[in-house]
Amino acid sequence: MRKINFISIVDDDPIMVFGIKKMLNSTVECKVVESYNNGNLALENIKHSITKNKPLPEIIFLDINMPIMDGWQFLTEFITLPIKTKVKVNIVTSSIDPYDLTQWEFFKNRTHHIITFNNKPIKKQKMDDITKIA
Amino acid sequence: MLKEKKTISTSFLVKQLPTATLFVDMKLNIVYASDKLTSLFCDNRINFVGQSLFTLFPQLNLKWKDVLIECLKGTSNYMGIQGFKDLSGNEKFHEWSNATWYDSEENIIGAIIQINDVSSAIESDMALEKANILLKQQSELSKIGVWEYDLQNSTVSWCPMTKTIHEVPLDYEPTIDTAIQYYKEGHSRNTISMAVFEATDKGIPWSLKLQIITAKGNEKWIMAAGKPIFEKGKIARVMGTFQDINEQVLSETKTKGDAKLLKTLIDNLPLNVFIKDRDSKKILVNKSECEYLGVTDANELLDKTDFDLYPFETAKLSRDEDLKVMETLKPILGQESISIKNDGTETAFLSSKIPLLDENGCATGLVGISLDITNLKQKEQELRSLINVTSLQNKKLINFAHIVSHNLRSHSANFSMLLDFLVNEKNEKEKDKIVDMLTQASNNLLKTLENLNEVVTLSTNTQAKKESVNLRSKIASIQENLSNLIATNKLNIINDVSKDIHIQIVPAYLDSILMNFITNGVKYKHPDREPILKFNTEKKGEYTLLNIEDNGLGIDLEKYGSKLFGMYKTFHTNKDSRGMGLYITKNQVEAMRGKIEVESKLGEGTKFKVFFK
Repeated sequence: MRKINFISIVDDDPIMVFGIKKMLNSTVECKVVESYNNGNLALENIKHSITKNKPLPEIIFLDINMPIMDGWQFLTEFITLPIKTKVKVNIVTSSIDPYDLTQWEFFKNRTHHIITFNNKPIKKQKMDDITKIA
Repeated sequence: MLKEKKTISTSFLVKQLPTATLFVDMKLNIVYASDKLTSLFCDNRINFVGQSLFTLFPQLNLKWKDVLIECLKGTSNYMGIQGFKDLSGNEKFHEWSNATWYDSEENIIGAIIQINDVSSAIESDMALEKANILLKQQSELSKIGVWEYDLQNSTVSWCPMTKTIHEVPLDYEPTIDTAIQYYKEGHSRNTISMAVFEATDKGIPWSLKLQIITAKGNEKWIMAAGKPIFEKGKIARVMGTFQDINEQVLSETKTKGDAKLLKTLIDNLPLNVFIKDRDSKKILVNKSECEYLGVTDANELLDKTDFDLYPFETAKLSRDEDLKVMETLKPILGQESISIKNDGTETAFLSSKIPLLDENGCATGLVGISLDITNLKQKEQELRSLINVTSLQNKKLINFAHIVSHNLRSHSANFSMLLDFLVNEKNEKEKDKIVDMLTQASNNLLKTLENLNEVVTLSTNTQAKKESVNLRSKIASIQENLSNLIATNKLNIINDVSKDIHIQIVPAYLDSILMNFITNGVKYKHPDREPILKFNTEKKGEYTLLNIEDNGLGIDLEKYGSKLFGMYKTFHTNKDSRGMGLYITKNQVEAMRGKIEVESKLGEGTKFKVFFK
């Protein structure tokens, strides 16, 4: 099984968080899986880790529609953070609004991080793909 | 001696004759000459006696020599008129006549020649002839004929032109009755008969524009004038002129007709039409323009400029346009403009200004044509706002569709994911957990459907009945309903709405709106202070503005402003936030044709401004 040190899940839906965690259990071996209710909480945590020189997540599962700070607002700030490593950001959403796709294109081309766009529900095979890190 | 004496005495007598007279002998040598000759030829140096006649007057017609020879045989004939220039160069005319000269024994001894100065007679004859020629030419050119009616002989004479006008042959002989018969039956004939009677009876002259029917049956307009001529105190004749004015009258009638047609056209056009001169003074205005400027008589506008009729700004703009058109000679066509009158009324015009050119191609003024498009503009505005509303609603609808799709999809995704887990799960404990989650997902779906239903009801029920509601008592009654919540959270509500404020509103919506603001006041209170919620109103044009101000958490409008009223948008970590309240409130306010605005400062509080129509 693939070994990953640190995965973050940013989603306000507890069922989704449960589901992602469960699927991760059967696809990868991960030491730390953290979850955040909204983008702001996740961002604050990452900023904190940077200043304290703590390890950063290698993979982030990111929901778009969240209270307080949504997925796009999170990304806007995240790509400006001084992170040298390549973080894999998997957007997981049930949205089919074309606006969200253009937003994805927008961010994809503005960062060295890898950003994928995935519609819910996530199948096991897909999970296998998006947990690969370069 | 006697003979000598006689000769002297004869010579003396002849000298004194009152007319210029010459006595010539049989050889045509002058024997005697009267002194009058000297004055006639203005030359007293001439010694006439003894000289030959033809030597003395070399310019004499040689034919006269024969005449004189005849005379010497006893037959005197007419000689004629001889012209010559006197010393001062004036043309003089002399009439020469002769008689045979007999002595006492009836023997022919010579001829007596008399010379009369006929210059003045000749001149007046020539003048008359000239005048006649001139008259004839004039008559032909102006088609003016003359006629005369001799009352004593009851004869009428027409000049050739008069006959030509009547289209009768030149040998035609009219009578007073036939002359009158040529006039067109009715007005013309009656009028001329009356005029002839008045002239012959009372001596009153006439000058009339009448119609005749010519001998060839053509109808013609003529100008007939008559003037009675008195002789010895009685009216002897009536003389007059007869002029063909058919072409003038016809073209005049046509011009008049054209002018009338043009005037009718201009006056009845549903357009404001005016003509201005170089100084932008109005020289023609039509009815519409008069009506627009509120005058009944066009003369009230003539000679006035826009500065007399409009406020300075409007007049200045108009004058600048006029100048531009007249300078560049390029018309302004179909330009939209707003005209403001002195009383402040605004009219939207679609106007054109076209330069008027003289024969040299210089602008002498301009024609202005304006179409009042105020109503059209208003309709356009209404249409535009309708389009705005429609496109806004369309946007909302698409947005709503995405929200619905997103929410339903996220639930169905959860179901499918959980069911997938359930099928593959062997652990009983884990299975129970998954079933619990399925129940939760199902509840979430129900809740979502409820929310969506709430929105749909609101959007489809836009025609809900409005009632007049007292705002202050409404706030008080909602306060009463929520007294538990308010007391628990120590919310201080300050109701500053005055007692007489009534608004037209859908009561259920107002309940929901007020409730939402009060619960928000509780939900988003600042942790460090007791919450205060203030209500007060202002009048803003056609709106009653309700201000709702709290001292709560406040919100960063730069970050969240655009999403504040969005569906499922929450901005605080609060368990009760479901992202529906402000979305519903905004929709309810808009359904009642109101609007909502917000001001906020993070950490200090928020002020919502609700505009009720």
